[in-house]
Amino acid sequence: MTAFVVRRLLLLPLVAFGVTLLIFGLLQMLSPQMRAALYVTDPRQLRAVDSIIRTHGLDKPFHTQYVGWLGRVVRGDLGWSETAKMPVARAIGTFFPATLELTIFAVVPILVVGIWLGTLSAVHRDRVVDHFSRFFAISGTSMPTFVWGLLLLMVFYGAWQLFPPGRLSLEPNMYVLSQQFRPYTRLMTVDALLNGQLWIFVDALRHLALPVLTLSLVSCATLVRVTRSSMLETLRQDYVRTARAKGLNDGVVVNKHARKNAMIPVVTMSALLFVGLLNGVAITETVFGYPGIGLWGVNAAIQLDAAAVAGFALFNALLLVVGNLAADILYALIDPRIRLR
Amino acid sequence: MRRLRRQVLVLLALTLSLSLVGLTGTATGQAVKNPDTFIQVSFGDWDTFDYAWAYDTSSHTVIFNVYEPLIFYDGGRTDRFVPRLATAVPSLQNGLISPDGKTYTFPIREGVKFHDGTPMTAEDAAYSLRRFLLVDRDGGPSSLLLEPILRMTKTRDDKGNLTLRFSDLERAVQVKGNNVVVTLKEPFGPFLSIMALWSNVASKKWAAANGDWDGTAATMARYNNLKKESSAFFEKANGTGPFKLERWDRAGKQVILVRNEGYWRTPARLSRVVFRSIDEAATRILMLKAGDADSIAISRREQPQVDDDPTNIRFIDNLPWLRIDGFFFTVDIDTRGNPDVGSGRLDGAGIPANFFSDIRVRRGFAYAFDYVTFLRDAFRNQGTLPKGMIPPGMLGFDAKREYFTQSREKAVAEFREAWGGAVWERGFRLTVLYNTGNIPREVGARILKDGVEALNPKFRVDVRGITWASYLAAMNDGKLPVFWVGWVADYPDPHNFAFHFLHSDGTFPKAQRFKNEELDRLVMQAIKETNKEKRQELYFQVNQKFFELAPSVSPVHQVVFRVQRSWVRGWYNNPVFPGTYFYTIFKR
Repeated sequence: MTAFVVRRLLLLPLVAFGVTLLIFGLLQMLSPQMRAALYVTDPRQLRAVDSIIRTHGLDKPFHTQYVGWLGRVVRGDLGWSETAKMPVARAIGTFFPATLELTIFAVVPILVVGIWLGTLSAVHRDRVVDHFSRFFAISGTSMPTFVWGLLLLMVFYGAWQLFPPGRLSLEPNMYVLSQQFRPYTRLMTVDALLNGQLWIFVDALRHLALPVLTLSLVSCATLVRVTRSSMLETLRQDYVRTARAKGLNDGVVVNKHARKNAMIPVVTMSALLFVGLLNGVAITETVFGYPGIGLWGVNAAIQLDAAAVAGFALFNALLLVVGNLAADILYALIDPRIRLR
Repeated sequence: MRRLRRQVLVLLALTLSLSLVGLTGTATGQAVKNPDTFIQVSFGDWDTFDYAWAYDTSSHTVIFNVYEPLIFYDGGRTDRFVPRLATAVPSLQNGLISPDGKTYTFPIREGVKFHDGTPMTAEDAAYSLRRFLLVDRDGGPSSLLLEPILRMTKTRDDKGNLTLRFSDLERAVQVKGNNVVVTLKEPFGPFLSIMALWSNVASKKWAAANGDWDGTAATMARYNNLKKESSAFFEKANGTGPFKLERWDRAGKQVILVRNEGYWRTPARLSRVVFRSIDEAATRILMLKAGDADSIAISRREQPQVDDDPTNIRFIDNLPWLRIDGFFFTVDIDTRGNPDVGSGRLDGAGIPANFFSDIRVRRGFAYAFDYVTFLRDAFRNQGTLPKGMIPPGMLGFDAKREYFTQSREKAVAEFREAWGGAVWERGFRLTVLYNTGNIPREVGARILKDGVEALNPKFRVDVRGITWASYLAAMNDGKLPVFWVGWVADYPDPHNFAFHFLHSDGTFPKAQRFKNEELDRLVMQAIKETNKEKRQELYFQVNQKFFELAPSVSPVHQVVFRVQRSWVRGWYNNPVFPGTYFYTIFKR
């Protein structure tokens, strides 16, 4: 097991190298004038395009730019993000906790409801529950995230003013930014509790409610479908029939025998889902004015912020490798027949 | 079971109706939320708070409330000034402008303190001006003062070496007693207009203590074209203005200002100003309606969404805007591998590189454009029909002057004579481009297409939207046959438009490869003229040439609007302000 983990982790630099090379290569296909658009945001600056290209070395050959960047990365400097107005490493450290918090809160209802509804749907195949869950899954995945987000925002904020957008309301926000508040983890709910400020904790939860609900509605649906198909296949297996023939009650057959064995694709899906959420949920973050890493990543890509895009990709590669590794380890725990060598 | 279902149905119906009431209904007079705090929600980020570096509206709005210039605009007027950190506005009458119009003396106010409690002096004012000239970052605002003071537009040669000498700075900006004396190379009519926005005063000691320029010759090269993050002023500020910069919270995409209790005038009534950046317009609108925002930025398209609650939301329309948009013709197009010029020849399937060098082609396009439809479809009829490249209310604007209106006859006449009749006979094909996301430009491009294609079945105009990055690159390379772009005034003077629209060294003529020696001479003659009446006459002539030669066409005079809560009081508009001036604002 340890050898497997080490081997997978050793792959990481290779993956990172490949990803950044690709990103840099793609960006290099754009002319220096196009890449200068990152710095020229107003027609009043048009006359300065050539000097901007010179100052930022945008006309240097690809290998010079890439090697220079790589050299700085080795020294721990990921460069400057023009979109975040801070160093790339600091930008990741700044925006990632918000997305992590959102993901942690969203992943619980996604997994619980997704697996529960998927199982229920398979067990009660072609009955009301199954029809309902399929309707839920289809509507959840077919309705765009921004539509869900805006609908929820209009009802729960616009009409009822229950769950506002952003990360905190005005007064809690001012308190958090003051000297009195110590940011231990940068997860707002956790820090609020560690600082003993329950009112800030409650306010942070109010702001998390709608993005979490939006993500749950969208992502849960996929998990319901995967769980349902996997369960249907498992329920047709001989050992399930045998268990039922032995006289075991249905609850034990489904929960102990079938569900555990149906979990392999669900674990894969969940791991990808989790990593996907961590990579940033740009649309949800945009609709709710929630400043997470996804929003920054998208803005960086739109503005051709090369250092930010490369740093973001590097970070995502790390998340993906670790996420896949976690999924592999979980396979082994769920199904002892799987050996990790 | 049936009863349970009925109950669920009733509950669902109730929830839905309540939601709909909330969504469509209008609230009656809400109580003032956060009475001491103003929350402004917009989109886009702040670039830097270095007064010599920032050139974007968001950053400049913050700077404008934290720092103060030597003189300032008088209320909503753009042609009258009041003293601010100077005690008098220089004029020929009070002797603070020399008879030759080159030397300006600013007596510095005593008793003013910076936010850190240290006194502001004439030395600080001179240092701040010198630093503004020195920083001169690529594409930054320094050229606005470099041009009048040192008669140069940049401080580096083509290899990036500093050409500005410390002695130039010392000679141009001097401290004499408690005065700051600025000596221009030549008279420059709008000098005070520029100073009223761009002469912010920062603390020299504070700058040096925080690692910025110490004001000496020995270190000056290090601070020319410096990286924005290297500046001490990047995220910190120590001005004299009515508000202090408390924090730039980049994680939360917000900037917080607090009242300067030690302000030399009566302190502001608001205790705090919060700028927040939210990309999604619908979210900003909901925040305004909920009272969590006092003012928001939206586009004209979103106007109907805030029109439904006049009790709580004020939509203030038809505010003057010192902005001119135009469609520009490139007179020497780079046709190499260029898909927007078709065949690259005047054969009915394309255009040659010099297609727009014939004045008749340009005027034909100008007469073919439907200005009335454009004003209606792109701006909901808010604005006025164009009268040239000088905005209404500015010196040189004349509402009675002749300018283009749509005329099929005139358009046909121009095209019939263009290129010796070859254009009309053979026809052409080209593409009009706009940057995606800019709806008025897209609407305008389509109206231009319809107008031109209706003249002759052999005329073919395609319309294509491209990203800003591609647009910028193509514009810079001279690849766009016709492009749409706009200019917002740096200061309220026609020179700012005349130079960049018509002078061969100006921003747009360079991109168009357009040069006309008579225009160059006229533009420079107008800027040196100190007599107001004579200047006005010269700008009438410049505007007339703009009409006759049509290097670009101004399709509309735009106005701007503001959306704010009804409880906001004390706001006033000055078209040259980069954003809201919060000193006079309160909530009630």
